[in-house]
Amino acid sequence: MIVQSKAQRRVRVVTAWAVVAVFVFPLYYWITTAFKNAKEIFNLPPNVWTFEPTFRNFEEVFGISLGFFRQQEVLPGGGNFYMAPRLWDSIVVAGGSTAFAVAVATLAAYSLSRMEFKGRHAFVSWVLSTRMMPPVAVAIPLFFIYKDVGLMDSYLGIILIHTVMNLPLAVLLLKSFFDDIPKEIDESALIDGASRWRIFWRVVLPMAKGGIAATAVLCFIFSWTEFIFVLTLTQTGLKTVPVVSSSFVTSTGTAWGNMAALGVAAMVPAFIFILLVQKQLVRGLTLGSLKQ
Amino acid sequence: MTETATDPLSRDRSSPPVAAPRPAFRGLRRLVSWDGPMPWLAPLIALLIVFTIYPLFYNIWLSFHEYAPFKRRLEYVGFQNWATLWEDARFWGSLSVTFTYFVVVLAIEVVLGMMIALLLDSDEPGFGVLRALLTLTLVIPPAITGMMFLLIQDPEFGVLTYVLEGIGVLDGQSPILATSSTALLGVMLADVWQWTPFMVLIFLAGLRSLPQEPYEAAMLDGASALQTFQRITLPLMSKVIAVAVLIRGIDVFRMFDYVFVMTSGGPGTSTYVLSLYAWQQTFSFIKWGYGATLSLVSLAIILVIANLFIKLAKVRW
Repeated sequence: MIVQSKAQRRVRVVTAWAVVAVFVFPLYYWITTAFKNAKEIFNLPPNVWTFEPTFRNFEEVFGISLGFFRQQEVLPGGGNFYMAPRLWDSIVVAGGSTAFAVAVATLAAYSLSRMEFKGRHAFVSWVLSTRMMPPVAVAIPLFFIYKDVGLMDSYLGIILIHTVMNLPLAVLLLKSFFDDIPKEIDESALIDGASRWRIFWRVVLPMAKGGIAATAVLCFIFSWTEFIFVLTLTQTGLKTVPVVSSSFVTSTGTAWGNMAALGVAAMVPAFIFILLVQKQLVRGLTLGSLKQ
Repeated sequence: MTETATDPLSRDRSSPPVAAPRPAFRGLRRLVSWDGPMPWLAPLIALLIVFTIYPLFYNIWLSFHEYAPFKRRLEYVGFQNWATLWEDARFWGSLSVTFTYFVVVLAIEVVLGMMIALLLDSDEPGFGVLRALLTLTLVIPPAITGMMFLLIQDPEFGVLTYVLEGIGVLDGQSPILATSSTALLGVMLADVWQWTPFMVLIFLAGLRSLPQEPYEAAMLDGASALQTFQRITLPLMSKVIAVAVLIRGIDVFRMFDYVFVMTSGGPGTSTYVLSLYAWQQTFSFIKWGYGATLSLVSLAIILVIANLFIKLAKVRW
């Protein structure tokens, strides 16, 4: 916008790369830690650039050479470091809650986008306000409720609460995508005698495919990274990756290499997903209120 | 048998069109018809009632009870938990830590986010890659981010500790996360690292969609860069900034993961945020009623602040 000289532009480019490098560095350091052996991790001065890459950490955590199925060994410190089942738990929880949230939210978002009724604005505000609830204020009573109804330690219990956690985002975001589709399409189809359900299923859903996919990706990521509900509502059964990462802190010290390996395995799918939805990311992060 | 098989058809044909239902049923029918909003919203409403309204009332009920360890059951204690709250220095301490964290983190993320967004608001080759790189931090589980910063702030071999000792900021005697005066800063660093890119991306989207004319006019008038930013960019960006502050503010206020993983509230009570205090009262100290009370306070504060902000900043969905 403001015209700049060549020198100014060069300064800007260099500064920009330097700033982003600062942000990427902790990530770089964590990822390389996953490929270091213990001696290199505890080295002083810290080993940043030079180390011998090893897959040992991944092997210990996931038992890759045994096809993910068997536990390698119990490591010093006595912790159970075999994490392949925890990865599976994370996938089931994130996948299940995403499917539920998107299904429930598309229905609701369609009517909030297309139908005029009393109290619609208040209803949207209510949905938004559930996004404000501190997780701890829900997790504490749910702990007792889940104990009473036997949902403790169950996939269903975690999937349900993750669904509810993602609903405000999914509803508001999908509503904004549906709002982009001209209402005239619905109206002319209604005049032609199509039912609401048919219009929703045959016309609006296919047109909003991209938006629904973006919503699903964001729901998946938020469930994947969620911490306090899983921490509170599981005891010995399933555990997702973020929660289980603290189990690498053992009596004989912290197994940084193993922890980093697990962390890297948890990040990779999320990185791929987020790069897929770059275009809708800002709209998603602002619950549909800002369009890119 | 044969009669009943053919009868309904013939009767249907001869009978008049379906009679209008009685008024009570007409209301019901409209309620369950796909032409009205109810069937579309029903699953959403059901889930929200079961998982937010019911727990809320359960929490309120819980706050008037307390677990009696020797009798192994909950007992009604009236307003005792609410009275305790008033005199509990740790509660007031946690409230002050929460607000300090809230104000400092939010301010840093907004200012830093705006600066980086202005820097990246350009069509230089490669800047798309930079934007994509910044999005990566957003999808790391915060608990893992906590671990990352635990590692780089480790008192013995942490790379940040090493650098800060090298340039003389740290003396080697006071580890960042184990010293009361710096522990909260160490936690804030993780938050700022992970979520400043959130601000950058939102601000950047706002900046990229600004109209060009005001800038051309300002340039003709010979306005300085700072003036242009203050008089044109900021006002045009006010809605974007308000939305970003609202969404981030809610999450900063209820932050839990970082302190749980990095410091568990310590050393002393220097990083005890309200969410963590409520959680620990419930699950570590078996004060179920008091923990519920604390979590209700946190809920009330966040609802009041957020709704006030929505009113004042005129944010709309």
